[in-house]
Amino acid sequence: MINTALKNIRRSPYQALAAVSMTGLTVFVVSLFALVSLASQLILTSFETKPQVIAYLSDEHKPEDVNLLISDLTTTGLVKQSIYVSKEEALKIYKESVGNDPLLLGTVTDLGIITADVLPASVEITAKSPDNFPTIVSILERSKIVSSTPNGQKEIDFPQDVISELTAWTRAIRTAGLILAIILSINSVITIMIIISMKIASRRYEIGTMKLLGAKGAFIIKPYLIESVLYGAVGGVIGWLASYIALLYSTPFLASRFVGIIPLPVSPVIMLALLAVLVVFFSSLGLFSGLLAAVRFLKR
Amino acid sequence: MIVFDQVTKVYPTGDTILDNVSFHIKEGEFVVLTGPSGAGKTSIGRLLIRDLVPSSGSIKIEDVDLSKLKGGQLPDLRRKVGVVFQDYKIIPDKTVFENIALALEIINYPGKQIADRVHHLLDLVGIPDKVELFPIQLSGGELQRAAIARAIVSEPKILFADEPTGNLDDTTAKDIYRLLLAIHNLGTTVIMATHNEKFLLDHRHIHLEKGKIMADTATSAHSKKPKIKE
Repeated sequence: MINTALKNIRRSPYQALAAVSMTGLTVFVVSLFALVSLASQLILTSFETKPQVIAYLSDEHKPEDVNLLISDLTTTGLVKQSIYVSKEEALKIYKESVGNDPLLLGTVTDLGIITADVLPASVEITAKSPDNFPTIVSILERSKIVSSTPNGQKEIDFPQDVISELTAWTRAIRTAGLILAIILSINSVITIMIIISMKIASRRYEIGTMKLLGAKGAFIIKPYLIESVLYGAVGGVIGWLASYIALLYSTPFLASRFVGIIPLPVSPVIMLALLAVLVVFFSSLGLFSGLLAAVRFLKR
Repeated sequence: MIVFDQVTKVYPTGDTILDNVSFHIKEGEFVVLTGPSGAGKTSIGRLLIRDLVPSSGSIKIEDVDLSKLKGGQLPDLRRKVGVVFQDYKIIPDKTVFENIALALEIINYPGKQIADRVHHLLDLVGIPDKVELFPIQLSGGELQRAAIARAIVSEPKILFADEPTGNLDDTTAKDIYRLLLAIHNLGTTVIMATHNEKFLLDHRHIHLEKGKIMADTATSAHSKKPKIKE
């Protein structure tokens, strides 16, 4: 059966090329959108799990003042978590984030070694919802221990609408990707179906003879179904390969921009899992296309 | 084994191909159907494998009424009745081997034994050296032998040969006839449709004209090893 299917493919290589390239293109787009969707989810998760509001404290703050501030914030019920980061802890976090870069650690500059004194202590707050930012910020602004800039503005960092923007973008990317993937998948199904229908039609004499010899419908259509599955599977591998190459090519560019957010290069395990999912899905799609063509033929 | 009971076949054009035809063929018989072109010989073959359905009357093979068969049962019927088609129906882009092997693949014959069986059949029909040739490379007689080999490779109980000696020279026609006799001697019920009366001999002979049976010798006393008229 597989030999018959391969022979059918060899007999009409351009039709096979059309089917595989259409499926390959679909898989490439689906694969890229899957990766972009995964990346946007990671970015969103990164923003959600990191402290969303950071209030820098003046050097003169006392522990009891900090406790009071945290207590005020907690009693609002709008805060998921609020933690105090001392100067020493700030230095530790800083060192972890810059690694062993001597320039950023200040060991080779005229400014001297960066010490805990240079960095401010802070209170880092994770809100239950971005909607709660204004209330939390207003409490922080009233606090005496939160440091101020020379022009009297409290030193409070919060991303304002970033998370809701990011959520909206993630959703939009997913929706656009899904719609594009559906349209291209339908095109792939139609392409494979037409090609298989043409092949069945061109072999009507052979099929008629097989029927007269006692062949069952399943025996007749099986090579065409195998062929359809092969188109889906090969297209899946080619599309995945193209997307993997594109990803590897852009990894150096992306890696420097998403440090600590997206682990790059993407793990081969994730890519292999993606390959498995794509091959299974598009083989099924190929089978479905072949069945559509076969059903049309059997109904005649 | 085969019962045609008042079978009439009228085509949608209104042409009556068979008109109230009745006969009974016993298991193991060698029957020669004769008649001019358009007499209905080929239609009988097509009715036997339900490639056509009768307009009225019934056809039974081994007590099974063909009109009551469902679509899924047709393959079983067609595996029981081997047909040597008048136009051979040899698939042009398959080799002789592939054409014959196809009939075995259809009946799910064990894959490893297919080659042995095909070579055995090609020996039997006398074209063992043509195994890898394509139909276009064969002569008429060789094509006919390949068609016979394909028809009997799956050991059908009945063989319907439609004008198997049709466009062949006398020597080749005799060879083909002898081949059919050999197959008959192996226990197959053979129906040979022909307009060549050389092969009547003392076989049972049904003569058709314009869709009607004009004569049926209906004898069971035919010789197992008849000689061909010169």
